[in-house]
Amino acid sequence: MADFPKILSENWDVENSHTLEVYESHGGYVALKKVLTGDKITPEALREEVKTSGLRGRGGAGFPTGVKWGFVPQNIDKPKYLLVNADESEPGTFKDRFIMDYDPHMMIEGSILSSYAINANDCFIYIRGEYGWLVDRLEEAIEEAYAKGYLGKNILGSGFDCEMIVHKGAGAYICGEETGLINSLEGLKGQPRIKPPFPAVVGFLDCPTIVNNVETVASVPWIVNNGANAYAAIGTEKSTGTKLFSVSGPVKRPGVYEIPLGLPMKELLMGNDYCQGMKDGVELKACIPGGSSVPILNAEETLACNVDYESFAEHGTMLGSGGCIVVGNDANMPELLKNLIQFYHHESCGQCTPCREGTGWLDMILERMLNGEGRPKDLELLDRIGNNMMGTTICVLADAAVMPCQSFIKKFRDEFEALLPDMEEPEDYIPTTSSAELPR
Amino acid sequence: MAKITIDGIEHEFEEGKNLFEACAEANGEKLPHFCYHPGLSIAGVCRMCQVEIEGVPKLVIACNATVRDGMVVHTKNDRVKSTVKNILNFHLLHHPVDCPVCDQAGECSLQDFYMNHGLYDADIDIDDKLAKGKVKPIGELVMLDAERCVLCARCTRFTREVTKTDELGIFHRGNHSEIDVAPGKTLDNNYSLNTVDICPVGALTSRDFRFRKRVWWLETTDSVCPGCSTGCNMTIHHNEGTAYRFKPRENMDVNEYWMCDHGRLLYKDIMTDARQTAPTVGKGDARTDGSWERAYARVLEMAEGKTLAFVGSPHATLEELFALGRLCEVAGGKWIGARLASTEVGEADDLLFSADRTPNGEGLRRLKAGEFSLDELRSAATGDHVLVVLENDLVGLSDSGVLDGFAGVIAIAADANATTEAADVVLPTLKYAEKSGTWINKNGRAQALAPAFVGPAEARDALRIASELAETFGHTFTWTDAAAVLTEIAGTVDGFGALAAGIGPQGVSLDGTPDAPAPSGGEEAQA
Amino acid sequence: MSDPNEAARDDVPVDGAENGGADTAADGGADDASTATATGAFAFSPEREEKFQELVRRYPTAKSAIMPTLWLCQDEWGWLKPGVPEWVAERLDVPLSAVYEIIHFYTMYYVENPGKVNIQVCRTASCHLMGAQTIVEHLKKRLGIEPGQTDAEGFFRLEEVECLGACGMAPMLQVGKHYYENLTPEKVDELLDQWRRDG
Repeated sequence: MADFPKILSENWDVENSHTLEVYESHGGYVALKKVLTGDKITPEALREEVKTSGLRGRGGAGFPTGVKWGFVPQNIDKPKYLLVNADESEPGTFKDRFIMDYDPHMMIEGSILSSYAINANDCFIYIRGEYGWLVDRLEEAIEEAYAKGYLGKNILGSGFDCEMIVHKGAGAYICGEETGLINSLEGLKGQPRIKPPFPAVVGFLDCPTIVNNVETVASVPWIVNNGANAYAAIGTEKSTGTKLFSVSGPVKRPGVYEIPLGLPMKELLMGNDYCQGMKDGVELKACIPGGSSVPILNAEETLACNVDYESFAEHGTMLGSGGCIVVGNDANMPELLKNLIQFYHHESCGQCTPCREGTGWLDMILERMLNGEGRPKDLELLDRIGNNMMGTTICVLADAAVMPCQSFIKKFRDEFEALLPDMEEPEDYIPTTSSAELPR
Repeated sequence: MAKITIDGIEHEFEEGKNLFEACAEANGEKLPHFCYHPGLSIAGVCRMCQVEIEGVPKLVIACNATVRDGMVVHTKNDRVKSTVKNILNFHLLHHPVDCPVCDQAGECSLQDFYMNHGLYDADIDIDDKLAKGKVKPIGELVMLDAERCVLCARCTRFTREVTKTDELGIFHRGNHSEIDVAPGKTLDNNYSLNTVDICPVGALTSRDFRFRKRVWWLETTDSVCPGCSTGCNMTIHHNEGTAYRFKPRENMDVNEYWMCDHGRLLYKDIMTDARQTAPTVGKGDARTDGSWERAYARVLEMAEGKTLAFVGSPHATLEELFALGRLCEVAGGKWIGARLASTEVGEADDLLFSADRTPNGEGLRRLKAGEFSLDELRSAATGDHVLVVLENDLVGLSDSGVLDGFAGVIAIAADANATTEAADVVLPTLKYAEKSGTWINKNGRAQALAPAFVGPAEARDALRIASELAETFGHTFTWTDAAAVLTEIAGTVDGFGALAAGIGPQGVSLDGTPDAPAPSGGEEAQA
Repeated sequence: MSDPNEAARDDVPVDGAENGGADTAADGGADDASTATATGAFAFSPEREEKFQELVRRYPTAKSAIMPTLWLCQDEWGWLKPGVPEWVAERLDVPLSAVYEIIHFYTMYYVENPGKVNIQVCRTASCHLMGAQTIVEHLKKRLGIEPGQTDAEGFFRLEEVECLGACGMAPMLQVGKHYYENLTPEKVDELLDQWRRDG
């Protein structure tokens, strides 16, 4: 693969890379100066630049960032907010913590630029409560930035104000959902909101709000410094730039890798520069490429994919948050599925009925199957419950639970059937409706 | 105006109108729902009101959608029906089948939806339902059964948006979510029973009503609350001559969807031991029950050579006050007034409870029936006057000797009180729940009463008493009922012309303006 | 903020003599009667009081400051003792139900003493694949407690938690602000010794 710039992870190996001094000595805050001083760059121009770069949201949804910024109505007289989503809780994903640990100033500079792009003067970084040590690190870095005049009033004499607060979460995966995050920040429970209205128009405290992932904002300084076209030249046409991929499971070198989008999965999992293949004695059985909420791929499918939005979609899964969970042939698929469903059951906010009841129900069924108390129609039931959950809820946590559930059973059905007594395909099996309907 | 098609039929609605409301108007019935309530913000959590909108891939909850020109909506096709059934199934999953012991049976949304949209073998194939707090009093009047709760969040939204008292919350998350009061708090504001009204299932029930009557035995009569001058529209629920509860009736110009607990519990006062069931003659130990003939004869005796003085009441209906006034005229009497000034008032709250604790204070003002001071009353209490007082506990509202100066007292009253104690003749009359009549609320809105009960056998409508007394003075009133009196009022009294056509169930504004409605969470929160 | 109705609530008789009702869902073990009257009994250290004042200044609404205030309380006292939530509600002038909704929605606010060393083992997905259960079993044996329990001295507590964001370094656990990654039973034993030594 051709050489590509390490946009995000360039300085991770540098000692004290988290300090302002080291960041600046490696070209830090040049982008901020470029935008706010001298010839300057207007917010509109910055939005256009990021749009042209093709940068897509790195939290999981993959929505074009520049386009999202454009949804903020600039002509209404309300304060605007930029919220940075550092709630990283998707199982398999552990990349944002590395940015915050080793290059917090890149994220801070990116956040200031992103705030500027939407004319927001207040920026909250919502970080999951479990990352306690990173809260300290961020607060120190922010203090350094304030001291240097990169945050606060009239930054670099530009007239642009930006206040930044680190807001610590307290243990809820659903606060990674953008409207759940907004509600949590408002002091409500972190339960997602119904849409419409959309956060870009009615968000935090009913004001226009953009929620961006850590990796997304951290990508912005490079784009400003090197230009949208340079960014778009990396990766593929529709999946530009680099992405941090978290790889875990029984590979020789699990970890966070910055890769150009389009890299073949085979290279990522087996390549010498990357994971260097499976651990000794373990064979590749499956892979969940985008964090636990996407459909699982079997070994063959895994190695046929490239790491980009389109390739994964073609193979029936998603790039998601880029949290790749590798599954070896020592794994028991029903147990793994139960483990994941248990997670969604535990993390469901409980607001809307299909998810609240559905996740609990799926968990209950898998539990009894694993305890040897499964019933013959349980697989049919799991499928049906899943169909009734998908697309009927306020947010996609329900879908996130159903996708592994349905894909695991589809691709590893024999392991599930083995748990059930006398499996027989029921004659009246209708996937989407109840099995018995009285005539009305 | 926008043209939209709902279930194959074209309708015209204002662009931007709430689609749930539009479908309800179009189809004559509401979409299945738990969490939507027009008086509260939109929650969108129950997922029952999903409809198909052509061109939109996923089903959409109607409560959070608005009418757009050209929309084509399906509320009853197979896809929607199947989805609703499945969502209902999720609601039933952990629901305890308490129907045999649950007050909500017969007015329960889960039951209704199951009958209309389910009626299937619910494949609830689980071993144990989740246990949550059961039979838990969370206030003096409200009982919580958290297992029955479908987590529609209507009650929490009510305490947050309408009363703004925030007693209730939903604690924990996922399927362990549970409604409760915050620790140490109780749901005891003056509107607590509204949460019972809006709870679609038996999770919140009235402790006052608990286990007293199955709702399918209850008949309903529309009426107006007697508790203050707001005049909340309500409905009397009754069976075989006994009232069991009041529930608010929707009137966007008066009380929107709510009524206060104070007014709601007044159903208990309709028939008590204090009820006057027969005319009495004489005072103290000499008091005896008598017939109406005897009572009227005594009245005539007392009136001989004296002037009758008349006092009305802010509890009496418009018609009764008018009739009493006409009686005063034909008897050549002295009209003192209809209300002792500065009595029966209290503190108003921010919602519905008015400072004027009488239902017709405004009516008597507009009729110019007059308020009078205690001094005025005392100076009228001379030996050549005999007092006729209608439904007004003057003694109780002032002091025990206030009527002593009169040559005699004739009390037309429904309940015994300090004034009837002091009266020489007591003529038993009917209460608001036993007659037709009109009250004017504090904003000049005329609202109609209707009889739910017959009342004690020997009690008589005050209009009838006025007519019969007028007869003894040689005058015949031509009215036969309250409606006739109302027509006369509308035709002859300034300011009452709006009542010429009668009063419908939502009342009529005397000034032709809508009232300032009670503040609620609905409009602000939905804006 | 004492509530005159508090005494009435728990023993008001119910028609038909049903039981007087289960514990408040939001109690979480804090049945202490001092809940209603202890609001005057708490104060931050001067440092934290300053941080609290800064919070109140910088956060746009009182409600939005509830979470960070609860964190300050937990930093101060280790957990949210009976009366602390009421104190927070009073200081911020927010409804008590709002404070308790937050406390019970998230996993990291404690209304029971979480012990001195609260060992939280990640159990999700990759940790599950890479031996989280082995670590849990090992800890159960060493400490003699089940997940969700505190040991007899109130020193160690064991908890299984969801994905902590350390999947490539599985299996792992968290104590306080620290992550301990790439664990083996031996490493766990070393950690236990270290924690016992440090008290």
